[in-house]
Amino acid sequence: MPFTLLKSDKPIPEREKHTYIKAASENLLPRCNVQTTPGDFTERGCTYAGCMGVVCGPIKDVIHLVHGPIGCAYWTWGGGTRQNLSDNPGFHRKYCFSTDMQEDNVIFGGEDKLYKSILEAHEEFPEAKGVFVHATCTIGLIGDDLNGVCKRAEQEIGIRVVPFNCEGFRGCSQSLGHHIANDTLFERVVGTKEPEYTTDYDMNIIGDYNIQGDLWVIKPLFERMGIRILCTFTGNASVDEIAQAHRAKLNLMHCQRSTPYICRLMEKKYGIPVLRASLFGIEQTSKALREVAAFFGLEDKAEEIIEEEESKVAPEIEEYRKKFDGKRVFIYQGAPRAWHWIPMFRELGIETIAAATTFGHEDDYAKICARVNDGVLVLDNPNALELEEILSELKPDLFVSGLKEKYLSYKLGVPFINGHSYENGPYAAYSGFLNFVSDIEKAMFAPVWGLIRREGHA
Amino acid sequence: MRQIAIYGKGGIGKSTTTQNLTAALSTMGKRVLQIGCDPKADSTRMLVGGKRQPTVLDTLREVGTENVTLEEVVHTGFGGIKCVEAGGPEPGVGCAGRGVITAINLLEELGAYTGDLDFVFYDVLGDVVCGGFAMPMREGKAREIYIVASGEMMALYAANNICKGIVRFAKQSGVRLAGIIGNSRKVENEFELLTAFSERIGSHLVHFIPRDNIVQRAEINKKTVIEYAPDSTQAKEYLHLAKNVIENDNFVIPRPLEYEELEELMMEFGVLA
Repeated sequence: MPFTLLKSDKPIPEREKHTYIKAASENLLPRCNVQTTPGDFTERGCTYAGCMGVVCGPIKDVIHLVHGPIGCAYWTWGGGTRQNLSDNPGFHRKYCFSTDMQEDNVIFGGEDKLYKSILEAHEEFPEAKGVFVHATCTIGLIGDDLNGVCKRAEQEIGIRVVPFNCEGFRGCSQSLGHHIANDTLFERVVGTKEPEYTTDYDMNIIGDYNIQGDLWVIKPLFERMGIRILCTFTGNASVDEIAQAHRAKLNLMHCQRSTPYICRLMEKKYGIPVLRASLFGIEQTSKALREVAAFFGLEDKAEEIIEEEESKVAPEIEEYRKKFDGKRVFIYQGAPRAWHWIPMFRELGIETIAAATTFGHEDDYAKICARVNDGVLVLDNPNALELEEILSELKPDLFVSGLKEKYLSYKLGVPFINGHSYENGPYAAYSGFLNFVSDIEKAMFAPVWGLIRREGHA
Repeated sequence: MRQIAIYGKGGIGKSTTTQNLTAALSTMGKRVLQIGCDPKADSTRMLVGGKRQPTVLDTLREVGTENVTLEEVVHTGFGGIKCVEAGGPEPGVGCAGRGVITAINLLEELGAYTGDLDFVFYDVLGDVVCGGFAMPMREGKAREIYIVASGEMMALYAANNICKGIVRFAKQSGVRLAGIIGNSRKVENEFELLTAFSERIGSHLVHFIPRDNIVQRAEINKKTVIEYAPDSTQAKEYLHLAKNVIENDNFVIPRPLEYEELEELMMEFGVLA
């Protein structure tokens, strides 16, 4: 019985195919990346959210203009729950731009309003290096000519105005939005500017969004090795960096769900090879450094850095490991972090007993299944009832998920960490790992857990 | 108050027929409100002597929803008929369907449907292209649907599709097909074909309006036939139609035909060779 039907799913038997108990003898994966089954109260986002909120939002020096009703703007605004930091805080994530489509704009078309909004935003913020216009559902339905308006506005204001046709209802989750953002940025931005000079050691870091400063602990490791980071896609990126990304010698891909598309496109058009990496935990970070070093012929330098960094954090990690040994974690993330973190937790003596993703594709689940032990629950696109059941039945020692599950977890007495936007990040690479581990310790060993009376106990 | 919507293929003569029908009803002492649901805003043109009147949506756009008044959007035309144009966007932009929904809701909020009215007519653009244009029948704003059709294949095809729309909403809104109004294009066996089609879908031919150039002459003079040539034989046809509408009690949930059945019918009457 590789697939199982959770008790809470009795009225939705289709969920069984999405709920897999791993067995090494089989070559099976949970059903994924398909339309949500009616009755499954999914937590998925939309195509617009994936495009605007995830991939484009971190770009720090353009106006991100939401063309749609006002409600679409806030939840993808970088100043809200997302923590994509940049070194341009006086502008990036400080403002939120929306055309605020009203009833009469819907009836008579929103093109004039969009055109005026672009001009007005540019006038207000002439320092912005471009305007990115994101289409919401409404725009797709009434058929505003987004591309035409952006072209006209671009001629008028003289900086790039890029339309993203990322209407929310397209696709089955936010995943298609990542793809549209990749394609559009590739077509409209990548290759439109030449770097002042190039070196043999130019590299892009693709698919890291600088959550609570992840890139600020990742990037120096490579720079110390002698590598120049041409572009970080898209954490703390300027639009000009993306424009010159085509001259890199290597693309290092971190988030392998939201950016394989642009990596493939750049490989095909510019011949840039792709290296896939996990930059969480000591072992995976050191492995990534070694692989990058091997590509550029910088092995000696890399070994020096690895030795120095590992010696700085390893003793402390070892202390934590003793404390954590034998603990069990349930990881539920968007997609790749669910598998990035399985080996990282193992390094800490913590085994993954359940893993789930909101919008993972087959390759994500293949990686999860390759990393977890037999008998581990692998769940696609879970809902709150399923999560409650898993937390109650499996009683993990830690749940790593997003903000929306935080209080469910607390109510059920399960220590919790926000893996989407972090507690006290950054969490990546060596020094970030110490933050991560410290947060794990605080969560699992908080004195509050000793004060809770559990059902059936005095 | 009877609430009626007129549907039919684009260009079939809905607005012409509706205006002549409401004009005829007014001469019979009936109080009528006619609402044009077409962005072209020409549904009541002949009732108001060709004047362009401000539409509901233009007004809403200029002054804002809160500031629209009935006086601005309701215009009294021939025979005391109250004329309203919903209006809408230019071709190729925006959402005309949403416009229909917004305009009708606004008219209701403003109290356009007064108790003294005998008839409210909605003259709705073309085929039922999207949810917005189905709004009058969906929300029970219109209880009776008349479909204007000729003996041409595409007119009957559109009529049949509109019947599918009626079936869809019949249960929730109580909307019923009240009949087919024949508007002649001088197709062979046209009357017989329209009679047979009407019966096959479980309804009836309310009246068959013959083709007469006086309709075009009246239109050039920005008048309905009822006003332009009240004693003409064509005016009598519209009066006959009005009488049949007043007396009509044949309201049904239609049985739309399959495409093959429709083709067979056309062949039977020699329209399709």
